[in-house]
Amino acid sequence: MNRQLRRLGVGLLACYLALFAMVNWVQVFHAGYLNNHPDNVRKIVRDFDQPRGQIISADGAVLAKSVPSAPGDPFTLQRQYPEGDLFGHITGYLNINFGATGVEAQYNDELSGHAVAQEYETLRDLFVDRTHTADVTLTVRKDLQQAARDALGDRKGSVVVMDPRDGSILALWSFPSYDPNLLSTHDAKGAQDVKAFLEANADQPLRGRTWQERFFPGSTFKIVTGSVGLESGKVTPDDPAFPRESAYKPPDSDKTIGNFGGEVCGGRLFEILRESCNSAFARMGAEVIGPAAMKAGAASFGFNDTPPIDLPAAVRSVFPDSNSPAIIGQASIGQNNTQATPLQMALVTAAVANGGIMMTPHVMQQIRDDNGKVIETYTPKPWRTPISPQTAATMRQAMIGVVQGGTGTAARISGVEVGGKTGTAELNDTGSQSEAWFTCFAGPPGATPTVVVTVLVENQPGASEGTGGRVAAPIARQLVEQVLAIQAGG
Amino acid sequence: MIGILRRRTELGLIVLGAVIIGSAYTLAALGRTSSLPADIGPFLGVVLGLFVAAHIATRKLAPGADGLLLPIAALLNGLGYVMIARLDEAAPKPRGLAAAQAGWTVIGIGTFIVTLLVVRRVRDLQRYRYTFLLLGLLLLMAPLVPGIGREVNGARIWAYLGPLSFQPGEFAKVVLAVFFASYLVEKRELLGMATFPRFRPVLPDPKHLGPVLLAWMFSILIMTAEKDLGSSLLFFALFMLLVWVATERSAYLGVGGVLFAGAAFFTYKTFNHVHDRVQNWLDPWAHKATTGFQVIQSWFAMAWGGVVGTGLGLGEPRRIPVVETDFIFAAIAEEMGLLGAVAVIAAYVLLVGCGLRIAVRAEAPFEKLLAAGLTILIGVQSFIIMAGVTRLLPLTGVTLPFLSYGGSSLVANYVLLALLIRVSHDSAQRAGEVDA
Repeated sequence: MNRQLRRLGVGLLACYLALFAMVNWVQVFHAGYLNNHPDNVRKIVRDFDQPRGQIISADGAVLAKSVPSAPGDPFTLQRQYPEGDLFGHITGYLNINFGATGVEAQYNDELSGHAVAQEYETLRDLFVDRTHTADVTLTVRKDLQQAARDALGDRKGSVVVMDPRDGSILALWSFPSYDPNLLSTHDAKGAQDVKAFLEANADQPLRGRTWQERFFPGSTFKIVTGSVGLESGKVTPDDPAFPRESAYKPPDSDKTIGNFGGEVCGGRLFEILRESCNSAFARMGAEVIGPAAMKAGAASFGFNDTPPIDLPAAVRSVFPDSNSPAIIGQASIGQNNTQATPLQMALVTAAVANGGIMMTPHVMQQIRDDNGKVIETYTPKPWRTPISPQTAATMRQAMIGVVQGGTGTAARISGVEVGGKTGTAELNDTGSQSEAWFTCFAGPPGATPTVVVTVLVENQPGASEGTGGRVAAPIARQLVEQVLAIQAGG
Repeated sequence: MIGILRRRTELGLIVLGAVIIGSAYTLAALGRTSSLPADIGPFLGVVLGLFVAAHIATRKLAPGADGLLLPIAALLNGLGYVMIARLDEAAPKPRGLAAAQAGWTVIGIGTFIVTLLVVRRVRDLQRYRYTFLLLGLLLLMAPLVPGIGREVNGARIWAYLGPLSFQPGEFAKVVLAVFFASYLVEKRELLGMATFPRFRPVLPDPKHLGPVLLAWMFSILIMTAEKDLGSSLLFFALFMLLVWVATERSAYLGVGGVLFAGAAFFTYKTFNHVHDRVQNWLDPWAHKATTGFQVIQSWFAMAWGGVVGTGLGLGEPRRIPVVETDFIFAAIAEEMGLLGAVAVIAAYVLLVGCGLRIAVRAEAPFEKLLAAGLTILIGVQSFIIMAGVTRLLPLTGVTLPFLSYGGSSLVANYVLLALLIRVSHDSAQRAGEVDA
């Protein structure tokens, strides 16, 4: 029996060694990930009621600050958000029970003075217990955010404004929003009630629709399909000429993919993009490009991957994983299981505008410590390079054509080169409800565009290809004009 | 002479353990309130008094016994108390768990001494094996009896007798370990021979295998009815390993493995709570707000502790549901860090090592098997709960011996400890290391 007992000992020891390895993994190697996890409130609790820096908009408005608490409050500092729901999704809230979101969570270490650069600024700091809180300045502008809000009004929807040259986000508005003050109150019961109330709302006001919700991109996705076609070499501005037809019948299905209103369309790339021809782009994705190359092309634009924006809980956009021409045909015109965040469509547009290089989207511009010293400036970096400069240039011309003489004429601005794409995603088979999209770039003629605007207006009555151009494009034009004015003035 | 040395080692280690416990108690108070605990003097006195009393009992009743078991148990018991006191104090509604655990420690050590007094020779236990079987099964069934049993947190493992509430399963483990050991000793030759079926013998005679197989299946079934996954697993391991050690036939391990895989798959498919546990092991994030919450909070706590821990009283272990019992290991890992967690793991490895050494040194097969069985109970139970808390294995709720809050667990483990010490002393006596 002793031999068995010794083996038993070896066996048990092996179990405990595995346990030892697991404890090491959780407490050391995986600890950074767990400590920064959005569901983990420990960092927020540690930093709660400690001095905390401000969050400031690019045009100087204070978006979040800590002020002395009201008398009788158990805590000494109260976090305030002077702009209320205008920046709710971006700044996020700060609550000792359910943690933080938005910039409050993303840049918690910097705001609270726990980033490495702040902790030991001088040798003296090693010996005195003093932390340097820091102010975070965003790339987002209050005036643009306000303009986006005014333009959208009380329609559910999203507006993304960014600079395609460096990926900086200039406005990131979605309606409905929420007021972070209500969730940052020290009245635990009150905050809990507000949170429960907001979470019960079917429109999910706590979620930033621009980067945390997916929608059917509809025809705006044709920018991706056209770019992938050009990049593959199988599509050029002159070839192929797609047949003029009212619907495309995929080889593996009897269900055809039709044009809006049964219209007949076809022709070469510029023409079909201008008219937003479903049958032609479905045929392009399903047969000219083919399922495998189409999937790879969508992935190169960042689909099926989470954009590395510096805001928590971003969601990825998706392109279906299928080898069926019927499914890929639908997916190529932004239907079937193709879904995108408004941010993703802005990134696609930005890649075309920026010579094929998609810059990493970001909201942080600069971080300064409490002495005013800059401790970090955001360094723009590319996220992906989905297409070559040649493809980008061709696609850019095609999109300018859409605004000059296609579905996007409502975004035309004299003296400015605007290129865009409309989209109308039907929400049901009867066509009674749809989502209206418009995504565009703009800038001085001949030069690299300096602004990208993507607008999504949800739940619009009716569905025709004109809906996106009629509803969303005017909002985009208004924002483009304002950005260009600011850029010209600055 | 060797006996004296062992007792001196024991006493020295107990004093060292008391110093560690006292320091932890002081640190926890400093962490929570920034002031020294007012009762540190009396506290140290009680800790020392209790464990020195246990030490004196061993000195008188089992002077030749191994000198490591008691100090390790004392250290774990003391650290557990400090942690429980600290956790209960931070609870929204303190339930007086620290005082209760202190009371149970006194009763546990009392039971330890009584066990040493009553069980003067281990082999005497062998005579009452069927009494033990009956007692074990009765204890197991008690929670299922209407009027006595009650369901708490989804598991029906509690029994209420008047004002007294306890988990009979904790005691059933020890009692059934004694039965298994004595039965297997008697039948081990027969179980080691294949005589069935007659024309091509591959199995031992069902006549011999039957009773023990029945007892085991019965226990498993009852525990399944009580939704006590951890205990079912523990029994399975205890039984298979003991049969293997007794018969020296590895085939039993193979058969056991196959049976286990089958049973595991069946319960996974049949019982929702088992299914949940496995799902939360594979991907707790999928149900992070509901069934996966506990394990995720446990991970957050451990990660927050890092290498050196937050310091006692300075972490947030209360975020883990039922942290005082099943998840106390995570609380220790958070506040004492990787170092504290590894120290606790090492303590259990030492306990297992001592137990197996006692089994190897024991001469009589019954003593060998009993020591092995008791060691398996401690070793496997500690492993499955720590593995569950760290997500190495699916979570099966059992207490962490000596550390977790819980009277039944503490008292039963002190009985177990006394029996191991008794076996150890008997061997020493037989080897002539101490006077008979």
